[in-house]
Amino acid sequence: MRNEPGRIDLTAEGERTLASVLDEIIPPSSDGRLPGAGAIDLVGYIKAAMPRLPELWSMIVHGIAELDGVAEIRHGRRFADLSGDQKVTLLNEQAFVLPLSLHAFVGYYQHPRVVAALGHEPRPPHPAGYTMESNDLALLDTVRRRPKLYREC
Amino acid sequence: MPDAPVDVLIVGSGASGAAFAWSLAETRMNILCLEQGDWMDPAKYPGMGDDWEARQLGDFALSPNARGRREDYPVNDSNSPVQASMFNAVGGSTILYAAHFPRFHPGDFKVKTLDGVADDWPIDYQRLASFYDVNARMMGVSGLAGDPAYPPKELPLPPVALGKLGTTLVKGFNRLGWHWWPSDSAITTQEYEGRAPCINAGTCLSGCAQGAKGSTDITYWPAALRVGVTLKTRCRVREITVAETGMVDGVIYYDADGVEHRQKAHVVVSACNGIGTPRLLLNSRSKQFPDGLANRSGLVGKNLMFHPYAMVTGFFDEPLEGYKGPTGCCIMSHQFYETDRARGFARGYSFEITRGFGPVSTAVWGLSMGRLSWGADHHRAYADLFDRTAGMVAICEDLPEECNRVTLDPDLKDSDGIPAPKITYRLSENSQRMLEHSVARAKEVLEAAGARDTFAMAPFPFAGWHLMGTARMGTDPERSVVNEWGRCHDVRNLFIIDGSIFVTAAAVNPTNTIQALALYIADMVKKNLANLFD
Repeated sequence: MRNEPGRIDLTAEGERTLASVLDEIIPPSSDGRLPGAGAIDLVGYIKAAMPRLPELWSMIVHGIAELDGVAEIRHGRRFADLSGDQKVTLLNEQAFVLPLSLHAFVGYYQHPRVVAALGHEPRPPHPAGYTMESNDLALLDTVRRRPKLYREC
Repeated sequence: MPDAPVDVLIVGSGASGAAFAWSLAETRMNILCLEQGDWMDPAKYPGMGDDWEARQLGDFALSPNARGRREDYPVNDSNSPVQASMFNAVGGSTILYAAHFPRFHPGDFKVKTLDGVADDWPIDYQRLASFYDVNARMMGVSGLAGDPAYPPKELPLPPVALGKLGTTLVKGFNRLGWHWWPSDSAITTQEYEGRAPCINAGTCLSGCAQGAKGSTDITYWPAALRVGVTLKTRCRVREITVAETGMVDGVIYYDADGVEHRQKAHVVVSACNGIGTPRLLLNSRSKQFPDGLANRSGLVGKNLMFHPYAMVTGFFDEPLEGYKGPTGCCIMSHQFYETDRARGFARGYSFEITRGFGPVSTAVWGLSMGRLSWGADHHRAYADLFDRTAGMVAICEDLPEECNRVTLDPDLKDSDGIPAPKITYRLSENSQRMLEHSVARAKEVLEAAGARDTFAMAPFPFAGWHLMGTARMGTDPERSVVNEWGRCHDVRNLFIIDGSIFVTAAAVNPTNTIQALALYIADMVKKNLANLFD
């Protein structure tokens, strides 16, 4: 995101905090199958998505600054340097986490590495599509024997 | 300087405008259609990219308010529990629709006679039957003959694949002894008249790059253009103009550069959907029609019907492969369609099984249902959802009420400064009881199919895609806007051919009936050419 006049942006430290927030929103799976947010540059996705959502971006930027401020006051360190439990406690107090989560999920679950880890081919649906088995129309046998369901007029 | 006059001017190139234009073209009249959107490029539909699900939340969202494309106009639906949905392009809302394509039941045209509520249509099922047949051939409709919920009908193509998800739910219906049938779908399941068959990509709601889904840009329009109909895109009609005689004489529209034009016409046809048509008429005031064009009855914009939807999701323990197959077309049930007063409401609803979700939609839907959170439990909760859900929607017949209406917003305007529509809509007690009943029955059949849990949303707020009733048909000019073949009572060279003219809504998707009506009206125009304005 360019730092255009009138548009707020994160500092380098703010980006570090955002990356740490995203790692808490989507950590790696316990079995190691699915990566955490940090492993797939979700910060880049979020920043690219935000020009269409200036109000949300403003909420995130201010929320990040507030998060670091509270972390310093309570624990003497920036958010990214806190323990996991400390991070979760602070995040539960921030209003921007839920709307940020929505966009984090959208970016995460379209990433090819995540799609492959879910057992799907990491490709768009078109042009290959998917194969499906033929219909077993014998399942309709009992329905066919029913009397008509519509009313005559 | 006005553009050279045409014989027939159609406003809107969607479901009804396309069918009407094609049918009327055989008269060799000079026919022009003005469309505020443009041709879509299937190669650029979201389904061709990795971000296709995300784009369904953005530039291909169902709501014009979420999309904000130049072709969209805003809709103030803040006073409605249902958000309006439509799309402006060549093909109109058929670009984004699911292509579920049932007919009305015969009784849907005789609601007053059969059930003592609402009104009867001035036409009946038999009048439209042959036009349903024509439409099935033109749109490429797939399905199966022999459904006891309908009079006999033939369809040109075999039904869509039920898949593992559909077969799983069928077991629930069969256990309960309830009606179900493969959905009638405007989706080609085999090669058909130069169109490729469906490849089960599941991207129907953001355009079909395969060309299997029947949108009118690839069905009626190529044929209509070949026989001489003219279609001009990026032309946004602001108002229909009225001559001193009280007849309409054309339209004023803005081209793509915002330049104003006047197009003269001998006949004007509005095909702008159940919100766009009343908006156009109300924006077309004159000294002859101070309350809006063709509105001496006061009914333009009133009796808006949406079909309140209930959406019920079942959660299963085994994978259902729900990401495969046409999104909204699988199986349907008319078990609770016809009125049974013992249920506590008049009229009824249909069920449609919907497919599952892709990876992104699973997460978004899970978040909205409160079943997916961020943090340590995220992946466990996601694993319980991904490819483990099957959906059902109940399409409830809401009855016409004048308090449900489309008016002009006093402040909101589109990018050309044309006043936007405002929706005022509430659910009746009848609709609420019907929704409750449908949710309970949906849970019953999902559990019979093996669902371990269910989640319901009723009314489903994003289901304002069926727009009906706002310029209703009838024989009495004081109680209707158009006559039994779509001609305005007040203006005999003005026709309305979209879902606005519906008298009642039935409990099924309206597009097939909208198009059958448009074909019927075109046929009546052709038969009455010699005395069209008598």
